[in-house]
Amino acid sequence: MTTPPVAGVERWEVLEKIGAYAASELEGEEARKAEQLIFDRPDYRRLAESYARMLVMLSTLGSEEVEAPEVVIGYAVRRAYVSAFLRQAETFLGALGRSYLDALVYYFGLRPVRGESYGGGT
Amino acid sequence: MSYVDRNLAVAASRGDVEAFAKLVGDHSSLVYRVALRILGADDAQDASQEVWVRVWRNIRNFRGESAFSTWLYRITVNTCLSIRQKESRRDERELGDDVPYLSEPSGGDADPEAAALNAERREEIQDALQHVRAEHRAALVLRHMEGLSYSEIAEVLDVPDGTAKGWVSRGRAAMLVALAEKNGLHRKEEAGG
Repeated sequence: MTTPPVAGVERWEVLEKIGAYAASELEGEEARKAEQLIFDRPDYRRLAESYARMLVMLSTLGSEEVEAPEVVIGYAVRRAYVSAFLRQAETFLGALGRSYLDALVYYFGLRPVRGESYGGGT
Repeated sequence: MSYVDRNLAVAASRGDVEAFAKLVGDHSSLVYRVALRILGADDAQDASQEVWVRVWRNIRNFRGESAFSTWLYRITVNTCLSIRQKESRRDERELGDDVPYLSEPSGGDADPEAAALNAERREEIQDALQHVRAEHRAALVLRHMEGLSYSEIAEVLDVPDGTAKGWVSRGRAAMLVALAEKNGLHRKEEAGG
């Protein structure tokens, strides 16, 4: 028995539908339609088996322990320390600068006295 | 666990580097693993470092509305996708006339796990993954390798649930096509001696 050819877009749809079936993501009528396709055509049955194999491989690979290289952890923490130090230094130097400025303003008597006008008015 | 992470994240957002170091230690494998799956071994290390730089820079924006791991997945995937965008896009495999098909592993299906761990197959999978469009690949990795639900994937990728589902489905199909092509080439090489 020969199987009828299927057009491009429709082929992707069938491909995705059988993939969803293999991943146990179809329910009810959709699942029954996918089962029918797989039952009717040996190539779709092979496709479903291939999906199942691929999903097992992905899941097995995904469950393997993967350790990040020490250099990644070291780099991230070092960067954070440098960044935190620079933030603190910025805050400290900013406060120091403001204090010096206040002292100069006080020393030279530049602070405006309440009610004093800097000119322009009468 | 997420309560601990949340407290550490709050402390880190106030500039506590020790708390940040603890977060890095606890979650570095997650970040590296996802980067490895999405980008491959060559770029995973640089991407992981970039992820942690971004986490430290943006930790003040973590409001604890979602789990810390979800927020971390989002930064990791976004970093990987932005790295991939800078590079030339690899072509997705065309769907040929034949239905894609993977040959049965040499050990048979009786021991699928052992067969799946075959070094050659592992290399084929990693290589085939690189021929899936980046967004679809990210969705596929999150679903079938990280085991996230569709709503979690949607949150990580910042797309509606239906889009997340569509991307996983498309990624799964494209992955099988790429894998079947490699598998077919391998079989031909074997047959040719």
